[in-house]
Amino acid sequence: MTRRRWWLLTLAVVCAGWALGGEWVSIHRGVPENHLLDLLGGLAFLAGGIIILDRRPGNAIGPLMIAYGIIWYFGNWGNLNVPVLPLLGTSLGQWAGTPILAQIALSYPTGRLRTRFDRAVTGLLYAGAIAINVAILLVFDPRSSGCRACAWEPAPFPSRSAFLVATSAYQHAGAVLAVFFFAAVWLHWRNATPAERRDLAPLWVAVCVIAIIYLLGAFASPFPLAGPFAYLMWELQTLFQIALPVIFVWGLLSARLARSAVGDLMVELDQPLPPGELQSSLSRTLRDPSLELLYALDERDRWVNARGQHRSLPPPGQGNQARTVTLVERDGQPLAALIHDPALDPGLVRAAAAAAGIAIENERLHAEVQAQLEEVRASRQRIVAAGDRERRRVERNLHDGAQQRLATLALSLAMLRDHDGTDPATADALAQALAELRQAIDELRELARGIHPAILTEEGLPAAVESLADRSPLPVRIAADFDTRLPEPTETAAYFVVSEALANVAKYAHASRAQVELSRCNGTLRVEVVDDGVGGADPARGSGLRGLADRVSAMRGSFAVETPPGGGTRVLAEIPCDA
Amino acid sequence: MPDRPPPGAPPAAIRVVLADDSVLFREGLARVLAERGFLIVGQAGDAETLHVVVGQADPDVVVTDIRMPPTNTNDGLLAAQRIRDERPGTGVLVLSQYVETRQAIKLLQHAPQRVGYLLKDRVSDIAEFADTLRRIARGGSAIDPDVVAQLLRRRGEDNALTGLTGRERDILALIAEGRSNHAICERLHLSPKTVETHVGSILAKLGLLPAADDHRRVLAVLMYIRNA
Repeated sequence: MTRRRWWLLTLAVVCAGWALGGEWVSIHRGVPENHLLDLLGGLAFLAGGIIILDRRPGNAIGPLMIAYGIIWYFGNWGNLNVPVLPLLGTSLGQWAGTPILAQIALSYPTGRLRTRFDRAVTGLLYAGAIAINVAILLVFDPRSSGCRACAWEPAPFPSRSAFLVATSAYQHAGAVLAVFFFAAVWLHWRNATPAERRDLAPLWVAVCVIAIIYLLGAFASPFPLAGPFAYLMWELQTLFQIALPVIFVWGLLSARLARSAVGDLMVELDQPLPPGELQSSLSRTLRDPSLELLYALDERDRWVNARGQHRSLPPPGQGNQARTVTLVERDGQPLAALIHDPALDPGLVRAAAAAAGIAIENERLHAEVQAQLEEVRASRQRIVAAGDRERRRVERNLHDGAQQRLATLALSLAMLRDHDGTDPATADALAQALAELRQAIDELRELARGIHPAILTEEGLPAAVESLADRSPLPVRIAADFDTRLPEPTETAAYFVVSEALANVAKYAHASRAQVELSRCNGTLRVEVVDDGVGGADPARGSGLRGLADRVSAMRGSFAVETPPGGGTRVLAEIPCDA
Repeated sequence: MPDRPPPGAPPAAIRVVLADDSVLFREGLARVLAERGFLIVGQAGDAETLHVVVGQADPDVVVTDIRMPPTNTNDGLLAAQRIRDERPGTGVLVLSQYVETRQAIKLLQHAPQRVGYLLKDRVSDIAEFADTLRRIARGGSAIDPDVVAQLLRRRGEDNALTGLTGRERDILALIAEGRSNHAICERLHLSPKTVETHVGSILAKLGLLPAADDHRRVLAVLMYIRNA
């Protein structure tokens, strides 16, 4: 046994002696009360205080509970007819317990009074207790309360009326302070983070018990002579007193249970976790639902979550927004960061992080790959967007440049041909040139339309798809459940899906009709092109369908070509609308 | 009555406003039309100027390109619709590098008169283009043959259109392009009586009521072909 343990054992023996001695005095003096209950009421606090001293060294709640337990027996010892003790029994035994109980409640679970308000409330309660004790020492005359045989020196200024005034003033002040006390408890709850609230839950039970104790106290008397009701109230009050230290000890030790959860975590991590599960495992272990696990990329200060999405470390924050960052390092390099509630025990967090060490390293690698994949996806999307921008630019240049010039040239040639001075041979040649030119204009127009259709920019997807249907050699039915504009990349991708699909239908499907369906649902555009042809289209072979699949998947969409059993071909693309 | 030309004098020249962002094309078209006896009363390079110029010059017909500044998308089309709303007596001919059925129908939908929708390079068929402009000024309409051909090609397979004879289909296309019976006679070298008979037969086969005027007939036929 360590020295500490010896010390605690000694303390326990002394306390037990104090308690049993006090109770023996009461029995010996024939005080008519339930001795067992009285003994247990104090012992519960003494035992609880010693357990907390042992398990939570440094927490003030342990010594406070022992102090409460010791004061409990002052009244008993006061029955001993020796100087001073009876007086102390009457004053301390009756009035000193309340501020200690309040300090325990307000400093729960850390043992420290954290806010100025808590300190003020506790301070005032102590001040009130000191004041009433001093008043009693000065004015209390035991004979006035009927104790003729009491062997103590009368107070310097014995006065029954002054005593009554002092106790009445103390009770009124006590009622006000009780309100402050409950306000302080409520403020604790309001300002607590979720994990802190979890720790504060036992306090609520304790506060209810304290309230019941004081309510019962108004009717209770430890002496059976006061009547069966008052005596019963006292018995009940004492039972609740016994419950109080049990609640505090259980609450304070439940963090101990969390420590053993680290062991469970190690067992859990023995099996490989699916990616992203580690965060919820740690969150469960540390009982902090807000816990976040980020991984460090090789670059300085870049963090990603398990899915590879970039995140940044949070600022410290205030009140119940407060966050604490615990870094997990290897060879001095940050590996991961646990972002958690500041109320968590730092040792416990480090223990959990150490237990999850290998799993963290594995998941970091996975997250890194995800982050790279994410970057590749983004760059693919940018490449497609850049290509589309370039297509639009080329089409605009053709329209404003070559097509415009050719139209003007056709007009000039026509003027020359129709001119009166033009001889017939030249007019013929001009007419031929004009015909060639018109052919060129037509071809250029089809080329420009294929590069980027003007109607898509001008009037949106349904109009552009209608235009495709208008030019298709077979009947095409269109069903669109919207007529609004969508983001440009979505419109462009969907347009080329329909365009390529209809071109394939016309070229290879031997179909008699086709149907295009455009529908929007939950931020996704669904494009479906169905025909009644021979089927057999394979996106792996045709470069057109392959290109469409690439384009749609670059936008995080899906693309599929199916040949249903009944024949025909179904091209289905789902393209996100927010890309 | 100072505005009315004296009896026997040639009819007053048709007043035209031209809008296109290419000065070269605009000037060329202005010269061609002036030679054909049109009076060019104003020119504009963008949709807003067009609106101002039309207000000042009070033209019979406006010829405008679809794609113009400020947005370089369909400003010309919007300007044309605005002119038609504000000045029902002014004809509008919209030119475009591309023709779309949807736009054609949109233009005709509310009032199928004094309106035209043509591919831009149709202007190089000067005589035909001048005819079209006069037709619009008189209250007629003009739809690009490409639009009509596109529709007929697509709808040709599986409806009442298959019941038409070859000649009837030719005439149907010309009706859809906005031509009057008289113009159809000239074009196909047929007598007015024959054309009238064909037209009656076509409308009956398609289940369309004989329209009170040629203008409404265009829209009815276009819509029929499109929705068949």
